[in-house]
Amino acid sequence: MNGRIVVLRAFLLGGLLLTLAGCGYNEIQGLDEETNAAWSEVLNQYQRRADLIPNLVATVKGYAAHEKDTLEGVTQARSQVAGLKATPELLKDPEAFKQFQEAQQGLSSALARLLLVVERYPDLKANENFRDLQSQLEGTENRIAVARKRYIDKVAAYNKAVRYFPTNLTAKFLLHLDVKPNFAVADEKAVSTPPDVKF
Amino acid sequence: MSVVGVTGPHRGPTGTGLAFLLACAFLLGGSAAQALDVPPLTGRIVDLAHLLPPDGAASLTAQLQAHETRTGNQVVLLTLPSLQGEPLEDYAHRVATGWQLGQKGADNGVLVLVAPNDRKVRIEVGYGLEGTLTDARTSQIIRREMVPRFKAGDYAGGITAGIGAVLGTIEGTAPAVPEPVDIRTGGEPTAFQYWMIGTFVGLLAGIVLSQGLRHARALFGSAIAFLVAQSAGLLVGVAAGGVTLLLLGLLLSANRGGGGGGGLDRAWGPGGEWGGSLGSDGGFSGGGGDFGGGGASGSW
Repeated sequence: MNGRIVVLRAFLLGGLLLTLAGCGYNEIQGLDEETNAAWSEVLNQYQRRADLIPNLVATVKGYAAHEKDTLEGVTQARSQVAGLKATPELLKDPEAFKQFQEAQQGLSSALARLLLVVERYPDLKANENFRDLQSQLEGTENRIAVARKRYIDKVAAYNKAVRYFPTNLTAKFLLHLDVKPNFAVADEKAVSTPPDVKF
Repeated sequence: MSVVGVTGPHRGPTGTGLAFLLACAFLLGGSAAQALDVPPLTGRIVDLAHLLPPDGAASLTAQLQAHETRTGNQVVLLTLPSLQGEPLEDYAHRVATGWQLGQKGADNGVLVLVAPNDRKVRIEVGYGLEGTLTDARTSQIIRREMVPRFKAGDYAGGITAGIGAVLGTIEGTAPAVPEPVDIRTGGEPTAFQYWMIGTFVGLLAGIVLSQGLRHARALFGSAIAFLVAQSAGLLVGVAAGGVTLLLLGLLLSANRGGGGGGGLDRAWGPGGEWGGSLGSDGGFSGGGGDFGGGGASGSW
């Protein structure tokens, strides 16, 4: 019967639309947006760190010009970071995300090495300009840690929605969204403990 | 083994299972890391290490209170004997966000944390004050005002001088402008959304109804469907609109009833409607400010 089919279709359509709200359509969209915002903050703080480096290198050079290798290491690591395209799109590609993380990690290690070298130059350590730069760098590292932690929390909530039933159906068949890459625990530890420095 | 690991998208049951286990491990690790509790916010000065004499604490509290009345900035001191091994920066951020110092939206809070047994001090700065109370400036305050006095054992002097410098730095900041209350940001459906849902439900009912009237013409059925849809939508929309207006009215009247005095004091002062309020005797609480990790640390 034609009429029956129409009624059935109407019910199916209505049911589908009503369950969209119940199946986390808005929730997933909101979490997706929040995750992107948290990621932008991470990128923002990494950028802030990269912006501090030319000044820092120039100041250290004035006192410790013959620490060429260490200074070059920092400059090189910075250009490597700058060479990577850091956009929210990065989150869709785990391989690129990993590369980005490794580059930032490289810069962290190079900076730690530089600050260790500085210990040997009391004049530099007493320089007000350097101390201000150092405090800015420390503050930025701390902001990076906070931004990363917030990103981790957001991604955890987002990934949960993408994996849990029934929201996973909405994510998979309707929005075509997949889980986002997160900073792994091993990575977190590497960031919070200073790297080994060998001369 | 690589130090950098990522948990990428997994396909198939094995991958999903692995990701789930990783997530479990992660959540466990996260909760186990928080060892030291955030103490209750009992006032502008939470002197758990007993570094300040009673009269010194009273005058400092008055100073901080007067500063908030003038500028809206919330500056709070926490001293505690030991961090019990917890990283200073992590703990300071946890306390500052836990207490929500500063006004919501303006994020103009500052936390000064002193841990004498660890010989560590930190000034944690809210988002909104990062521009004036910069990392470099907070570092200078710690190096010049606080650490030398702490080294000499003069904790009260170092704290007073440090907080004085913090207040001096942010004194010129304009009073924080509160965020306007937006009733549509609450995540509640708007009247329009109610109308949409109502129309849809009505349409559905209309179709069912028209199909039920077997002898009626198709055109007649559609007309009924449309009419039912519109009226149902309108009904739900009007009802939702009424509820929204009622809530708005309540919200506005509550807002108006908040302050008692007049002029500037009412707007920025204690008990004002912007949060970050305090009673004349205790009852002090954070206003919903957020912190992004700005500030500086020092040790002696």
